[in-house]
Amino acid sequence: MSQAETAGPAAPPVRIGRRPQTAAGFLALFRNELHLTFRRMRTKVLLGILAVLPILIGVVVKLNTDSPHEGGGGVNFIAQTTQNGLFLVFTALAVALPVFLPMTVGVVAGDSVAGEAATGTLRYLLVAPAGRTRLLAAKFTAGLVFCLAATAAVAAAALATGAALFPLGEVTLISGDTIGFGDALLRAVLVAGVVAASLAGLVAIGLFVSTLTGSGIAAMAATVGLVITVQILDAFPQLDAVRPFLFTHYWLSFADLLRQPMYWDGVWKDLGLQAAYVAVFGAAAWSRFASRDISA
Amino acid sequence: MTIDTAAGDSVDGGVPYRSRRRTLVRAGVPLAVAAVIATGIGLVPALAADSPPDLPTLTAEQVVAKALGSDAQSLSGTVSVSTDLGLPSQLLGAAAGGLGAAAGRGGGQDGGSSAADPQSKLLGLLGGDQTLRVAVDGPDRQRVDLLENMAGYTVVHNGDQAWAWDSSTNTAVHLTGPAAAAAQHTGKHPGAPLTGVPTTPQEAARQFLDASAGTTSVTVAGTANVAGQKAYQLSVKPTQSGSTVAEVRIAVAADNGVPLSVVVKGVDASTVLDVHFTDVSFAKPAGKTFDFTVPKGAKVTEQKADGAAGRHDAAGQDAAGQGAPGKGQAGKGQAGTGADGRGHDGVNVIGEGWTTVVSAQLPAGTVGAPQDGGKSGKHGGRGQALNPQALLKSLGKPVGGGTLISTKVVNVLVTDDGRVFAGAVTLPVLQHAAGVN
Repeated sequence: MSQAETAGPAAPPVRIGRRPQTAAGFLALFRNELHLTFRRMRTKVLLGILAVLPILIGVVVKLNTDSPHEGGGGVNFIAQTTQNGLFLVFTALAVALPVFLPMTVGVVAGDSVAGEAATGTLRYLLVAPAGRTRLLAAKFTAGLVFCLAATAAVAAAALATGAALFPLGEVTLISGDTIGFGDALLRAVLVAGVVAASLAGLVAIGLFVSTLTGSGIAAMAATVGLVITVQILDAFPQLDAVRPFLFTHYWLSFADLLRQPMYWDGVWKDLGLQAAYVAVFGAAAWSRFASRDISA
Repeated sequence: MTIDTAAGDSVDGGVPYRSRRRTLVRAGVPLAVAAVIATGIGLVPALAADSPPDLPTLTAEQVVAKALGSDAQSLSGTVSVSTDLGLPSQLLGAAAGGLGAAAGRGGGQDGGSSAADPQSKLLGLLGGDQTLRVAVDGPDRQRVDLLENMAGYTVVHNGDQAWAWDSSTNTAVHLTGPAAAAAQHTGKHPGAPLTGVPTTPQEAARQFLDASAGTTSVTVAGTANVAGQKAYQLSVKPTQSGSTVAEVRIAVAADNGVPLSVVVKGVDASTVLDVHFTDVSFAKPAGKTFDFTVPKGAKVTEQKADGAAGRHDAAGQDAAGQGAPGKGQAGKGQAGTGADGRGHDGVNVIGEGWTTVVSAQLPAGTVGAPQDGGKSGKHGGRGQALNPQALLKSLGKPVGGGTLISTKVVNVLVTDDGRVFAGAVTLPVLQHAAGVN
């Protein structure tokens, strides 16, 4: 932390309260946040659960296709999964995205400020020469990294499971075209990136909720509850006018990247919507956090 | 303000940490951000739709000639189709699967190859919003991709080969032989090689411009930008009274006469059908677009090309002859698959132009049995014996001389003696055609 102070240009002595805002200072804070997030047992367990999910799906699909009975319904990708293990990545992401991924992200983001306030460590963080804006930015970035890690956990576990249970090789896209395995692997990485990015809005919302309360549990529950509520609202055709603005609305548009050529419309809309949510709720979180009394 | 922002980053310092004014300013920031974004979302489409292009003035005849004589052989693009026919969903299902029995969705759930059956699939276009990708290269090579939610449905026609592929069930239908090229035979429908349902603006536009001479007033209603192309707006209105269609607007590209959008408005001023390109290119599509190799592990059904051609004829003819009601026809045309050619014999066309009424005799009793033979046992397992008359009557409301099933555009009158009259016309026209009033 002292590094952060000396690294920056010396502040004019008149403005005592002004701290140097440097990249190095932010990095130190960010590294600190990453440690805090990823060294917790809770985070490891969450990632572990996410990694078990694809294994479960893979085994169920395998057992189901071995039996003569063909199960209808479910995610449409399942028909392709039996043909190529790589498709398990997409199936697993499609299954995890509506519930499991937002739940874990909600836990991490919701707890980020409120949890520290509850345990009393927030006060000490703020005594350190960090600056509230910078602290919030570091927490938000750490939340994004968790999104990436969570998505990667699902995708990697799915790829391993798929390779173990199903044949690999050329992949049939949902437009009926066939592409090579290397190409398909690149698309899997791209899809995972898009999925992680489409959770960014939720991180901002979770962070904002987290600044509202001093109870970590309350913030987590509120964030996860919000995700569920929004998804229920998204299912009502009567709300057609509002639905395109719900942050979950375009989540599953990543499937459009599995066409030949890729169809980006939905994905751009998704990413744009996430950016808008990050801007609004990031600003709201900053507004609340920067002017809040820290009593605990 | 500068002091505010400078001190904004500090936790403590010279200025008192919390002041009412600063709190208010801070609370304003997220609101301002939200307002800016909301304005942006509101303004961008408004700006984009602005300023119709300047084009030399043409008469309506010249624009129609341009559209019908368009020699653009190749195009590719994305089409947005949005339909609001106000159809009862049961009726839509019934139309998709023939009269009464085996709705189109049901066909999919049979688990058989019929899931990839183009007819039932594309009839799904009649409800709701869809996005399609279209590629056309002359009369011999077309491809339509239906972008479903997390799934895809593809129809490729290349010379004497035609494929239909459904990703959600991993099934494909393969048509071979000269009859697969029957799509050319109705070469006027390059976008929809296998069905009478219009999937492109061209096709929809032709249906309205072709058949409607004499009963239609066509005017040029200014210009517009559609999918980045400058276009003339044609306003097509029926001159006959009794039609439920108030106006059809067709945007015709100024460069090459390709229709870029078709909007159908009903008499209640609501939009019934909106087909338009969201982006379009007139360059020749890559050759491999039209190559279809069977995906690994797909269930392929080889189809009798003759049967398919017969079915296509029925649907195609009706659609072309009919204009707007043509969509209702596609379903009936398929009813003819049971007994080959029944589509031609069983359906009578009364009147002409916009007030055309189609009549048919409902089969008495149940339709379970004939369907069994007709669809090679596909629907046999369903064992649903439905009385079509009872089904239709349950959908409609009683009027003089029978039962009326009313939608935004198409009205269907089922007379008490089992005859069916349908058309994009008002009830009195139907009753007149049926001779019940």
